Amino acid sequence: MVAEAPAPASSRQRGAMPSVRPRRQREEELLVWPDLVFVEFIAALIFTITFVALAILINAPLQDRANPANTPNPSKAPWYFLNLQELLIHMHPALAGVIVPTVFLVLLAAVPYFDTSNEEQGRWLATPRAWPNMIVGMIVGFVGTWVLIVYDSSKHIVLYERFSVGSEAFRVWPPFMAEENVRTWPETLNWLKSVRALQTDINWHNDLTGVPIGETFIRTDLLGLPRGSIQWNVPAWIVEQAIPIGIMIGLPILLSLVAWRTGLARTRRDHMILLISGWFASWLVLTVAGTYFRGAGLELLWPWDVYPAES
Amino acid sequence: MATTERPQGQAIVDRAYEFLVNNRVWKSIFRIGYPNTPRNQMLAVATNVFLHLHPTRVHRTHVKITHTYCLGGLSFFLFLGLTVTGVLLMFYYVPSVERAYADMQALQTDVRFGMMLRNTHRWMAHGMVITVMLHMMRVFYTGAYKPPREFNWVVGVILLVLTLLLSFTGYLLPWDELAFWAITVGTNMIGSDPILGEVNQFVMIGGFEVGQNALIRFYTLHVIGLPLAAAIFMSVHFWRIRRDGGLARPL
Ligand code: HEM
Repeated sequence: MVAEAPAPASSRQRGAMPSVRPRRQREEELLVWPDLVFVEFIAALIFTITFVALAILINAPLQDRANPANTPNPSKAPWYFLNLQELLIHMHPALAGVIVPTVFLVLLAAVPYFDTSNEEQGRWLATPRAWPNMIVGMIVGFVGTWVLIVYDSSKHIVLYERFSVGSEAFRVWPPFMAEENVRTWPETLNWLKSVRALQTDINWHNDLTGVPIGETFIRTDLLGLPRGSIQWNVPAWIVEQAIPIGIMIGLPILLSLVAWRTGLARTRRDHMILLISGWFASWLVLTVAGTYFRGAGLELLWPWDVYPAES
Repeated sequence: MATTERPQGQAIVDRAYEFLVNNRVWKSIFRIGYPNTPRNQMLAVATNVFLHLHPTRVHRTHVKITHTYCLGGLSFFLFLGLTVTGVLLMFYYVPSVERAYADMQALQTDVRFGMMLRNTHRWMAHGMVITVMLHMMRVFYTGAYKPPREFNWVVGVILLVLTLLLSFTGYLLPWDELAFWAITVGTNMIGSDPILGEVNQFVMIGGFEVGQNALIRFYTLHVIGLPLAAAIFMSVHFWRIRRDGGLARPL
């Protein structure tokens, strides 16, 4: 069944004409029947057994009949869209619901058109520096996304106050937590409570919260229509659009730049692995946060507070 | 075939085998004998419409489980499983606001294996979302999207979207609180786009709120529109893998 195979020769031909397809090596090939069909059969068998077992053990949920008059709190989308619902908490709905996913999918589809080298294709993380880039990307995406979520949900305040007021242990050590240093979040730093606090905890001048765009720029009256009056709320715009867009575009670029300067990422494949791994991790954190860490009113809570043990 | 030197048991197996395979019925179905010679093994793959999704030979590295973890194949397997269980579910389900929920209850309590049927369909649906995503990650980390497979990656992204939409449209059908509010929240997200959002949301749910129109739209998309689209793109996906000379491997 196994075609007589000489010791696997290196299949790479460096320096040869850049060809798109590797040379066919019949000696290295196996017959689909039985070698591949067997593997597929076993995989299908394992999956069949797994899903039958799952179906016997766990029942699909069926709650009360739909009642449009009774909104559950929290109401959540299916789990694979909870990442978007999580984004929705932090930015303008149009961004979270439509623009970010669309741009994300388009960029994802465009990956092969950015990374056009075909070095080491078809092998797990085989390019030099592939592993470090993946790991760094994932760590940055994971930690960064959590930090942003915690910050925007004002939970750093809770942490700060718990450690400086609440816990006996911290009064003794470290020294800066000593009694006389115990305090609540300083009033003067209220604008650092969350991204939204930039809008609500700073005294924005009225000229900035209602810039009359419509009347000066959009002259609908010239078309014989009533004169449009759009008021541009600058602080809201900063909080809901400028900062989220800046973060979502800026941080990946910053990561790529740092990786480039430090020599971590040199080829396009390196940058792709770095950024896409960051994306995967960030996407995972958003999904997990939306699923397990959002309770009533979509407040950020510990999972055991979101799903209290049933009595 | 069987010689006198062979042990008794072997002779019986051989006789049974001869009886099974060397007759007009078997040959009319499979055209070839049992695939126990290289020639018949290749013919078995090449002459069978289902196995013919494969080439007749593959590179030895691609048979190793750790190369693909079978994830693409398992996504396809789950798609087939969902089709079978889905057709069975259609026997018991009427997509009307009045009946849908009661049908689900009846399915769970009055139909033999009804609960299990529903469970299988649901867990397979979640499973497919997961395997498709993992498959995408395996393709990414093996660098298998590189030329000439760029476009097959794009086809893959379309399949990912179709998978999510299939799952999303199915979510509404039980017409319980979970279904109703998940779809309300989900479609509101689309509706929040200031430019086309309202129009899109209106088209999706056929009104200003999730009701009978939304149910029939989601149902139709779920049972015929999206599966058909997914089947078409999967055909393209598989065809292109064959045309690109099988799975990617180093140049
Ligand atoms: C319904 C969803 C999908 C199905 C049923 C499917 C099925 C398959 C199968 C059976 C293979 C053969 C190798 C393997 O099993 O890994 C494959 C390969 C491939 N898939 Fe998918 N796939 C799906 C989604 C995707 C997605 C989301 C992507 C990427 C965004 C993708 C990109 C690819 C590429 C580029 C290959 C070639 C891999 C190589 O040459 O090593 N597919 N797909």
